[in-house]
Amino acid sequence: MMGQSVAPLARLFVFRGALSRNVRLAAGCGTALLALAIWSAAPAFGWTNPVFLPSPLDVVEALWIMVTQNGLLTDAGISIARVWGAFLLSAVMAIPIGIMMSSYRIVGSSLEPLIDFIRYLPVPALVPLSIIWFGIGEETKIFLLWLGTFFQLVLLVAEDMKRVPQEYFEIAYTLGAKPRAALTSVALRSMLPSLVDNLRITLGWCWTYLIIAEIVAADNGLGFVIWTARRYMETSQVMAGVFVIGIIGLVSDQAFRLAHRMMFRYL
Amino acid sequence: MLPVPYLSFVAVTKNFGTLHVVETPFNLEIPRGQFVAFLGPSGCGKTTLMRMVGGLDTPTDGSILLEGAPVGGPDRRRGMVFQSYSSFPWLTVEQNVLFGMKYRTDLLPSEKRARALHYLKLVGLQDFGAAYPNRISGGMRQRVAIARTLAAGSEILLMDEPFGALDAQLREELQVELRRIQTEDTKTIIFVTHDVEEAIFLADRVIVFSPRPATIRADIDVTSILGAVRDLTTRDGQAFFNLRTKILHMLRNAHTAAA
Ligand SMILES: Nc1ncnc2c1ncn2[C@@H]1O[C@H](COP(=O)(O)OP(=O)(O)O)[C@@H](O)[C@H]1O
Ligand SMILES: [Mg+2]
Repeated sequence: MMGQSVAPLARLFVFRGALSRNVRLAAGCGTALLALAIWSAAPAFGWTNPVFLPSPLDVVEALWIMVTQNGLLTDAGISIARVWGAFLLSAVMAIPIGIMMSSYRIVGSSLEPLIDFIRYLPVPALVPLSIIWFGIGEETKIFLLWLGTFFQLVLLVAEDMKRVPQEYFEIAYTLGAKPRAALTSVALRSMLPSLVDNLRITLGWCWTYLIIAEIVAADNGLGFVIWTARRYMETSQVMAGVFVIGIIGLVSDQAFRLAHRMMFRYL
Repeated sequence: MLPVPYLSFVAVTKNFGTLHVVETPFNLEIPRGQFVAFLGPSGCGKTTLMRMVGGLDTPTDGSILLEGAPVGGPDRRRGMVFQSYSSFPWLTVEQNVLFGMKYRTDLLPSEKRARALHYLKLVGLQDFGAAYPNRISGGMRQRVAIARTLAAGSEILLMDEPFGALDAQLREELQVELRRIQTEDTKTIIFVTHDVEEAIFLADRVIVFSPRPATIRADIDVTSILGAVRDLTTRDGQAFFNLRTKILHMLRNAHTAAA
């Protein structure tokens, strides 16, 4: 009797053991629900001050008001546009430059030390400089996002290109391809899966830097909304804003992953 | 006048910086349609010599002539089959074979498809045309590479330990297969291996190398010993066994001589 009732629980804790999909799903949902329950209970039972930790329902209500009355979706749209603008700018520059860096030693050797240096400059430290240069218009935000992502991405692209097996080029050459054709029809194709992955990661970084940029130098966008709500101690609005960013991040990340799975079925 | 040899190494030397891979001038003539195995300890320079035929490396000195003319950079006449990364994972089996003809302007698309099908059949992959390389076995992937090179119209196949990563049984199967393919679709083949049995079983002629810097330790006419027809019984004969022993001794002596 005892053994039977204990066995299923013990099975959950087999060191590095297998676990069925349903159990894993249940465990994930269970933890999330538990967190939600604790969060709801804390202000309700007076464990915490609702000013500092509003209940989930307060946050949902704040979200509703922000969407219907304060034009939150417009701010979200503005933020998304900034992120994608800077992301595309970074990608359009980083992909060809990264490829050139790994295709021609001279390009790589010339650019690598400089890029490596700039890569380690913390973006927030460059905010003042960026405001001096560009004021607080759109340029500053795009510049900061670009600064935070381009120098990372260009090295990732260079690395992807470097990892294309030499055999692929040599196969192409012995089939009559010229270097340019080998680059476009073999190397690009070979590096595409990891390139898409790196773009996905870069998009995530863009969101991080966006909030910094919008907090210090903006009068709209999600970062601005959050920062303004903080000034009025509207904690539920702050949390709602953060929540929206999380959702957008999650959706775009999943979209990238889905595209990856569909494009690269052969992997 | 002497007829011009089909493929010849003329006083070839090769070094990578201070590393002398081929130091004493290397000479070798290979007639059209011959299946030659380069056999030797690993690191002796077999791959390097073969790559120079493919135009993927250039001799430091001397030259490699194809029908009397120096081989230039790589082109379709000399196809490569590598041990790994031999086919493109993002293309299906059939697309991989078609890729072999991608840069041919002398064929219509319909002719390319027909040729692809022909060579897929020749290597026994007609039922796997739509599969991606990661869905088929390592042996099948090597067949894809062989079919692609044949479809491209290469006259010389340069094979660098193409079966090196396969298990023994699959390897034997592919060896029989390759020998059959070569008799059906006469090509000149240079096959690099460090496996004595593989070299004897496959080749018309085995070149045994010394350790680096590479020199020819022996040049063995296998066909005069084993005949041109090879099948699964070939390995069981006394002649095969004797030849194997002889070459193993050579390689062993080569090692001790160097040490
Ligand atoms: N591109 C290269 N640069 C420097 N050394 C090389 C290069 N290619 C091969 N070598 C060296 O040349 C020697 C012969 O290599 P290789 O021809 O590949 O030998 P094998 O195929 O007989 O094993 C090895 O010591 C190898 O490390
Ligand atoms: Mg080798």
